[in-house]
Amino acid sequence: MEIRLEKFCKSFGPVKVIEDLDLTIGDCEMIALLGPSGCGKTTTLYAVCGIHRVTSGRIWFGDKDVTALPPQEKNVGVVFQSFALYPHLSVYENIAFPLRIRKDSRADIERKVNEMAGVLHMEELLDRRPGQLSGGQQQRVALARALVRRPEVLLMDEPLANLDAGLRLEMRSEIRRIQRESGCTSILVTHDQVEAMSMCDRIALMNEGKIQQIGSPDDMYHRPENKFIAGFIGNPPISFADGKVEDGCFVTEGLRIELPDRIKGAAVSAGQNISVGVRPEYLRPDFATPIEGEITFIETQGREVLYDLTLAGGQVFRSIQSGEQVCGVGDRIRWGIDADSVFFFGEDGNRI
Amino acid sequence: MRGIRRFLPALFMLPASLSVTLFFVIPVFMTFVFSFTTMSSDTGILGSRYIVSEATIRTLKDGDLDAALVRQLDSRVFAVNEAGLAALRKSNLKPTVVKEIEEKLSGKVYASEKQLFAALKGLSNRPRSFKDRKMVSKAVVQTLKNREFTTPKEFRAGLASIGIEVTDDVFDVLLEVANTSWKWTTGNYSELMASDFTWKILANTAFYVVLTLFFNVGLALVLALVTFYMPSGQSKFFRAVWLIPRVSPSVIYIMLWRWLSFDGGFMSYILGFFGVQPENWLNEFPWTFVIMANGFVGASMGMIIFASAVVAIPADVLHAAEVDGAYPWQQVRRIILPLMAWPILFITTYQTLSLMTSFEYILLLTDGGPGFFTTEVWALNAYHTALSNYYGNLRYGFGATLAVVLVAVGIAMSLIYLRLFDFKKLVAEPQIEN
Amino acid sequence: MDDRKTNWPLTIFLLIISAPILIMYLWLFVDSVSEINTDSIWPTEFTLRNWRFLVEEIPGHGSVWTALFNTTVFASSVVAIVVILSSTAGYALSRLKFPYRSEFLGLVLLLHSFPSVTLIISIFLMLRMIGLFDTLIGVILVKASLELPFGIWIMKGFYDTVPWEIEMAGVQDGASRFQVWYKLVLPQIMPGIAALSIFSFMAGWSEFVLPLILAPSADMRLMSVYLAGLVNDDYLSDYGLFKAVGLFYIIPVMMFYLFTQDKLMNIYGGGTKG
Repeated sequence: MEIRLEKFCKSFGPVKVIEDLDLTIGDCEMIALLGPSGCGKTTTLYAVCGIHRVTSGRIWFGDKDVTALPPQEKNVGVVFQSFALYPHLSVYENIAFPLRIRKDSRADIERKVNEMAGVLHMEELLDRRPGQLSGGQQQRVALARALVRRPEVLLMDEPLANLDAGLRLEMRSEIRRIQRESGCTSILVTHDQVEAMSMCDRIALMNEGKIQQIGSPDDMYHRPENKFIAGFIGNPPISFADGKVEDGCFVTEGLRIELPDRIKGAAVSAGQNISVGVRPEYLRPDFATPIEGEITFIETQGREVLYDLTLAGGQVFRSIQSGEQVCGVGDRIRWGIDADSVFFFGEDGNRI
Repeated sequence: MRGIRRFLPALFMLPASLSVTLFFVIPVFMTFVFSFTTMSSDTGILGSRYIVSEATIRTLKDGDLDAALVRQLDSRVFAVNEAGLAALRKSNLKPTVVKEIEEKLSGKVYASEKQLFAALKGLSNRPRSFKDRKMVSKAVVQTLKNREFTTPKEFRAGLASIGIEVTDDVFDVLLEVANTSWKWTTGNYSELMASDFTWKILANTAFYVVLTLFFNVGLALVLALVTFYMPSGQSKFFRAVWLIPRVSPSVIYIMLWRWLSFDGGFMSYILGFFGVQPENWLNEFPWTFVIMANGFVGASMGMIIFASAVVAIPADVLHAAEVDGAYPWQQVRRIILPLMAWPILFITTYQTLSLMTSFEYILLLTDGGPGFFTTEVWALNAYHTALSNYYGNLRYGFGATLAVVLVAVGIAMSLIYLRLFDFKKLVAEPQIEN
Repeated sequence: MDDRKTNWPLTIFLLIISAPILIMYLWLFVDSVSEINTDSIWPTEFTLRNWRFLVEEIPGHGSVWTALFNTTVFASSVVAIVVILSSTAGYALSRLKFPYRSEFLGLVLLLHSFPSVTLIISIFLMLRMIGLFDTLIGVILVKASLELPFGIWIMKGFYDTVPWEIEMAGVQDGASRFQVWYKLVLPQIMPGIAALSIFSFMAGWSEFVLPLILAPSADMRLMSVYLAGLVNDDYLSDYGLFKAVGLFYIIPVMMFYLFTQDKLMNIYGGGTKG
């Protein structure tokens, strides 16, 4: 089922948190709401499930207007960041809760709960209390509870944030598998780009209450629409440097990059202030466009080595290279940039 | 400096320990001690008291003492001594009369008033009227009856003053019978077990505690939950309103209930619109008002505790219940109430015990009435027995026996409270070691 | 759920069950300044007649000013004793090392929830034995002692929140433990002292049973006993007068309540005596 948000606004008192947000999520699609904390992603999620009231705008589930529906009347499963299990109920009763509220028959409840427990591999946990479970197990219970009544929509608020690193990896694929199997339209709220990229069909990157860009993980990484997106996505992050347009080139002290043909004449004029963004993997000794400077910092990560290269004008570029360390701090070097893979941004921050 | 360091704990603890020991800890023990005495306003509290009363005489008559001696104890003599003369000098008798009595009759002892009057007649400046003669007799009369002596020595002197000399054996018997000071006894406890009033009061107390408890715990829950689902401005207002009875002095709070219920008060006025005659509703339905007055005060404590317990439930859990399809009433029944089992149990226990031991509001509202023992509960009865009743005889010992039961309840209450705290954490060792 | 709207049925329901309180306290004010009408509860005209007790004695009940004076002396003495003794003993229990410390603490904890009113009979008898019966000093000492475990308990709680590092630094800087307490720790717990002062003032100001029993003489009378005497006087049935006296008596309590509501809620909720 398709979810559509139209000109959705949300204010808390005088504070506007979300303004005129439009978003369409296709049937069976899993989309990530990605963004730094406080960007309004959880608020959007709570509005979709009905915990928060919508200040203005509309929310559609398929062709049904659910804007004013209370959460009780929407068939939406939610996995909360804290899991929000009912501490006084056993795992079985936690999963059964939505069905009991719906007054399903005893036999139905038993069948569905057991089925859910099977899908999530937790048959042996059903008699325990939430307090006796590990983080990963609690996670599964929360997921089972959200899915047990076959929701049309599954919403997850930072579902992996409370797990340790190993479990997070495991649960990523697990959640994705279950979402595919159940076929429900899903929204995943996260601040972790790796999570968003690895789990979702599309990503909606949010900042300050607005959607910056919607696209596939590939789009986001290789075709960011603005400086914020380029800076947010990618780890280690992209390096930016300010400069000017001169003779069809981007120029700053110690660096000169030829602008690609598509923007050379049309988009920029000589003397204009623009900035360049270079992802660390596109700065290596073997690329063509020369870059000169001093190595000011080296971080060895094992498989890869991270170098900070400071140009004469003080601009810092980062380079990531696999293999062993090739130089030391203080060395003056001359490396290269892959000019086809760098981004140029205008003064307004948008990519040229 | 070193000295101060050593004595600092003592310096800091002593004053508080002293006053708590004196007026809090010792009274706890003394309640038990007093409960084994016959202390009352008749026996007094301090030391011994020797009185030859009507009752003493009766006891002695039944005993095997010499009948003549007993009659003597019961008798009066008229001894013209310095004390009597001093009293006469202050009276409005003519000084000449007094002077002649002093000169001629001083030191004489008469066995009866008749003999005294005869002697007075022989004086030249004799008292003329019967009233005057009576005044003389009153001033010089000596009797043992109903005089208080605090030591055996005084008692012996008292005997001597009416001319009785006795052997030590006889004196001991007299001393024993005349001693009306309090004694050690276990009789209070057997009386408590045997008395019909005990059961009446016990029944009243149970009735009062159970109903008030339902009223106030129920009300507290309703208040906490309803205010939880309200905008914060409103919930603040209502919580503040419900705390007013609690912070008001009890006298004012109860006065307002009496105003609400008396025949010229609010209830009578409102009910007047429905054609109901004005009544003193407090007299008509005493228990209703006792329970409401206590319940309205008690509800505030439960309300505060329950409200903070509801707030302590993670918002996400309630959100989860919401998206799982639970409406507020289902959230309350299936999530909130089960999660509040502990606070509810705590408040219920606490209120039970504190309702059992307190009597201030009932004392002010009905004083156990109307009529005989209608709303008399255990704690109030202890107060009435020992400290204030219509009969005038305040039975301290028996009152203390009633209080022992309450003190036991209080100790139980404190122990329950103690269990609620993580005592080990409280006594964490000081981190500066000297 | 998050931004709750007014739910009118709920609000009206709550207004109805709160009605007795609202009505009682509203009319406490209204009736004190209006002519009492025998067959109606509505005020007919404004009057200060009910407040005559301020300038003339009520026959048989003495002057309200004596009672006010006694109550002020009583409540302030209780505050002084409770605050001074609790802030020293609370500190010792929280921070100093001495023998039987945990026993003391257990006792404080035990007594702070003990219903002290059950002791009234033996306290009465003991005061008569030691000759403090029917004196203001006696009632003050008793009331203060009964409040002390609670006060020590509260103060210990406040001391426990002061970081040890402050004291360690003080000791390192050469201050004695007494100086550390007086100059470094005490200023940190001023909010606690304020809360305890207000609480014990209100407790003292409202006290009824203790003075009624332990100091029954007319010239020891506190406001509570004075007002109870008026209300229980069979020859007097003048709610205008009662309410004027009541209002006069309740004013300080209400002032404190209005300004310190949140703090008091914490203390009342923290489990004080029934």
